[in-house]
Amino acid sequence: MDYTREIYWNIGHGVVLPMYLLSFAAMAMLAWGFWKRLPIYRQGKALDRFDRFDERVKRTVAEIFGQVKVARVRGGGLPHSMFFWGFLTLFAGTLLVMIQADFFTPVLRVNLLAGRFYLAFSLVLDLAGLLALVMLAALFSRRFITKPAGLESTDQDYIVHQLLFAILVSGFLIEGARMAASELTQNPGLARFSPVGYLVARLFTSFDPDSIRTTHKVLWWLHFALVLGFFAAIPYCKLRHIVTTTLNAFFAPLEPKGTLATINLEDESVEQFGAATIADLTWKDLFDADACTSCSRCQDRCPAAATDKPLSPMKLIQQIGAVAESAPGASLTEAIGEEAVWACTTCRACQEICPANNEHVNKILELRRNLTLMEGAFPGDEVRSAVSNIEVNANPFGLAFAGRGDWAEGLPVTVMADGAEVDILYFVGCYASFDKRNREIARSFIKICAAAGVRVGILGKEEKCCGEPVRKLGNEYLYQQLAGENIELIEGYGVKRIVTTCPHCFNALGRDYRDLGLDLPVEHYSSYLHRLIETGELQLSAQAEPFHFTYHDSCYIGRYMDIIEEPRAVLARAGGRVREMEQSRYDSFCCSAGGGRILAEEKTGTKISEARVKMALETGSPLIVSNCPFCLTMFEDGIKTGGAEGELSVRDLAEIVAERLA
Amino acid sequence: MKALLICEYREKTLLATSYELAAFAEKLGAEVAMILIGDDGALPRIDGKLYLAQAAQYGEYNPELHKRIVLQAVERENPDYLVFAHSSYGWDLAPRVAAALKVGQISEIVGIADGAFEVGICNAKLRRTVSPRGSRAVLTIQVGAFTPAGEATGSPLVEKIDLPETASALQFVGYEQAEKKAVDLTKAEIIVSAGRGVGKKDNVQVIAALAKALGGELGASRPVVDAGWVEHSHQVGTTGQTVSPKLYVACGISGAIQHLAGMKKSDFVVAINKDKDAPIGEVSDVLVVADVLQFVPVLTARLQ
Amino acid sequence: MKLLICIKQVPDMESRFKVGAGGSWYDETDLAWRMNEYDEYAVEQAVQLKEQLADAPELTVLSIGPDRVLEPVKKALAMGCDRGVHVQDAAAAHKDPWQIASIIAAYARDKGFDLILTGMQSQDRGSAQVGVLVAEQLGIPCSTTMVGFAYDNGTITAKRELEGGLKGVVKLTTPALLTCQLGLNVPRYPTLPNIMKAKKKEVAAIAVADLLKELELTGTASVYQPPKRGGGIVLEGDFAAMADRLLGILKEKTAVVR
Repeated sequence: MDYTREIYWNIGHGVVLPMYLLSFAAMAMLAWGFWKRLPIYRQGKALDRFDRFDERVKRTVAEIFGQVKVARVRGGGLPHSMFFWGFLTLFAGTLLVMIQADFFTPVLRVNLLAGRFYLAFSLVLDLAGLLALVMLAALFSRRFITKPAGLESTDQDYIVHQLLFAILVSGFLIEGARMAASELTQNPGLARFSPVGYLVARLFTSFDPDSIRTTHKVLWWLHFALVLGFFAAIPYCKLRHIVTTTLNAFFAPLEPKGTLATINLEDESVEQFGAATIADLTWKDLFDADACTSCSRCQDRCPAAATDKPLSPMKLIQQIGAVAESAPGASLTEAIGEEAVWACTTCRACQEICPANNEHVNKILELRRNLTLMEGAFPGDEVRSAVSNIEVNANPFGLAFAGRGDWAEGLPVTVMADGAEVDILYFVGCYASFDKRNREIARSFIKICAAAGVRVGILGKEEKCCGEPVRKLGNEYLYQQLAGENIELIEGYGVKRIVTTCPHCFNALGRDYRDLGLDLPVEHYSSYLHRLIETGELQLSAQAEPFHFTYHDSCYIGRYMDIIEEPRAVLARAGGRVREMEQSRYDSFCCSAGGGRILAEEKTGTKISEARVKMALETGSPLIVSNCPFCLTMFEDGIKTGGAEGELSVRDLAEIVAERLA
Repeated sequence: MKALLICEYREKTLLATSYELAAFAEKLGAEVAMILIGDDGALPRIDGKLYLAQAAQYGEYNPELHKRIVLQAVERENPDYLVFAHSSYGWDLAPRVAAALKVGQISEIVGIADGAFEVGICNAKLRRTVSPRGSRAVLTIQVGAFTPAGEATGSPLVEKIDLPETASALQFVGYEQAEKKAVDLTKAEIIVSAGRGVGKKDNVQVIAALAKALGGELGASRPVVDAGWVEHSHQVGTTGQTVSPKLYVACGISGAIQHLAGMKKSDFVVAINKDKDAPIGEVSDVLVVADVLQFVPVLTARLQ
Repeated sequence: MKLLICIKQVPDMESRFKVGAGGSWYDETDLAWRMNEYDEYAVEQAVQLKEQLADAPELTVLSIGPDRVLEPVKKALAMGCDRGVHVQDAAAAHKDPWQIASIIAAYARDKGFDLILTGMQSQDRGSAQVGVLVAEQLGIPCSTTMVGFAYDNGTITAKRELEGGLKGVVKLTTPALLTCQLGLNVPRYPTLPNIMKAKKKEVAAIAVADLLKELELTGTASVYQPPKRGGGIVLEGDFAAMADRLLGILKEKTAVVR
């Protein structure tokens, strides 16, 4: 017997025209549904996310078909990915049948769906369908029975699940009916290759042939109607993410992570800085709300949300969408809440995990720009003072700028103004320059460089705050002022390479300053030291006893700059035995001080730093190692206030390495 | 030489600063005359001529009238120096008198050196000696810089002084009492702060007792507030209040930079800390190396 | 209605101060500069009054000194003042309060200002004289140490901060001068659009010689570092002995312990 199938068996070829007409109608509804949303997005400003087209296409294909981002979180992710592949395969299979019936057969007179290919086709589709069904059940159970915290479900979710079940089940029933009537006994060799269909067909064996045919026809039209309903419904419910999330993979930014638009302060025509209403956001910002499926992964990882601050990255995306749709003139700060806007630490955990490529962080930063630049608002008086201090003395402590280089007294460091030759400019940063605990980082770094024979120069009292914290609080003006002064100095001294011990200075000088004209290699000391060790310029000698530690990936080093393994390698060379926290690497949990919040007080909820200290304690390590002065400060605080003194201590990577120089 | 002392009177009381003026005049070696817009029942117990005008008539605060009264006394006494306390009354009135007499004024004097006067500049980080260009000068002295030797036992010779008319462009409406609110450390003259060295919440009262004994306010470092041992309005530091009291006692405070920034402006700093190398030592005038919980009760007992 | 706000540029008080060459003032190298904090309150109050009166008043901000004083002038313009006046004087630091007041009075005399606001003292010299002297030289009423301000149709109700948390309330009518105390208001942070607008506002430059006719009434004999502090006395040992010693020091060195 031939391995093939009569397409439109029992349905008749007369169905083709109405089928295409109805399909066309459903697709038209689909298109129209999305078309209606365009004016909403258009309320936002222009933004070019169509450049580097090929790159974008490649990335989209990899992400969507590979389900890379979705599968990253095992719990709901893997079932979804498998459901997706199953459903996609079924869709592709159905399409192939359609093309075969309406193009290959009449026009090319070729039958692909035959022989070995058709056997494979049948098996693959059956298994795909089964996979989809099983995974759908898993997803249903997760959402409605297990009910993970943070995952909100509405009637709509319930209906969509039922719709998908109905499509899959009806599909198998149709197959079973068809096979019962035309394959089971007539072509058992073929029937075996549709195992699920085979089992379903057994249900029909007691039916008489006419009943089977009637049932088959009804089910076929039912299935057809459900599928058309599915397509037509896409724009109107969460299913829209099939289109919008795919598009968002295309629209995702290609710039380095953390890139923030540099405002042109020379442009006198600009009257609005930052975002007060949705008209000040970009179309992509408004589109993000449609790409969001409320999966809650961002909210689950937000350190502010985890400690009872009023911020939820998921709600932020949706509130912006709601405003764009129903109240476009409304104040965004009012809709989202000023405290929520200030609560963000810009740790990027939300954006890093988002499977829909939503961009949470820059929306908050634009809202902050409006608050700061248009209203002169601050999250608290302590921030107002710190900003005033930065304006006067170029550091948030309000200490005399003339003392900025004092930490280096007696150490083998040159101040650039003295004119000597150096190999690197060490951009020290405010904390390492002035704070007693953090000066140890600077001193350790110098000690290490001396051992490696690296000549180090510093700007000393000429160095200004890099401006990153104030930039993240929205003060683009002060940031550009500070950056401009630093860049002029750095270029004036003919610096060839910059190394910094602070991730925030690193991000500022290494990425943000490029927009303002600085174009030099900038390294963070964790990767710099790693390099020196690899080339042998720096020799470490692990002491007799290995030390046990847990490693904290600073947000601005790990997520922002993808520097994950180098610090670990350095610590391993130094004789360290790591016990990783559950939330480590790209899933690291913020220390609370990013986004300019190092200048602010945490007034609501519980302390983020204490939450992280608890995570470190859970590893049983006596030591937590970080490579950021903000993290070091927050953990020293968190250990004291969290009552972990004596159980856990915190040290910087530089301190550890400096103690283990060969 | 002769010094005319302008005494202060408020809420029907002679203010104690009047005796500081006398102490200053004594240090100067000047003969003393006084002027007071007050009442007969509240005279300064200082020997010398006292020109008295009635506050009931000329107001407790009316610098225009008070200036004219002082000028009358100046005409009668012909003093070399007119001495005011550098207070809200003094710094308001003195320049008016100086302008009318077209003489130099030297403000907030803290010392006398070879006929010139010592004042502080830049938050007392530097000192300056200033001398008047003429033979007469208006001087204001820093409150608390010149302390009277002992009990005042003098008796002034009262001479009435009056103005022909009392028209003035300024109208004093009245006083407003201080509101009872949560702690405003920025105005406190003595602050005793608790740091992590106190160990736990129950021990904060040891520090509070010392604050009370000294007549000061309780302050706290940030970790103590964060831990909930003390309420936030007591916090001293960059994220609390920035204070500049005359005396700051830091108990069990290590001196993190954020705390130092909030209290560096204190006139005199005492630190009590087990750790001899604590950063607070860099800004303290006195560092007592001791366990806070053991030393503070001993100190408090001596004050009571 | 016309307001004059007099501001001074002072070094940031966290700076390390060294005696300047010549020994009559502090050395200006390595100092961070800022608007005198007391004057910030004066600027803010003037801007608030302008807002209260629907933008009708014209605010002139004046400062005396070298070119660097243009920075605080610009800040005052960004906070809301309408125009600036820079009295160019490279040696402003060496003029005594009487002379400074006379410069301001000479400028203000024929301009018909309804209200003059300034800080009650400067953070560097702190003589607390200039404001009152300007009023006396112009013959207008004044009051000092203002922590509360209300304006109604030519009458000002000012709250003065007295000692011990007490406040005194006075009324005066314009033209008048008031000096401002810390805490009078919350000086606004200039918004970026206002910073941009300020760049276009007029700042008139006047040579100090055109305004100064007075000689100094006081002179600085010397400037020096006070006795060293920090690295102070360290007490160790018996608690009772330390307590006694400490109290002795406190009685001697501070005025608040008796």
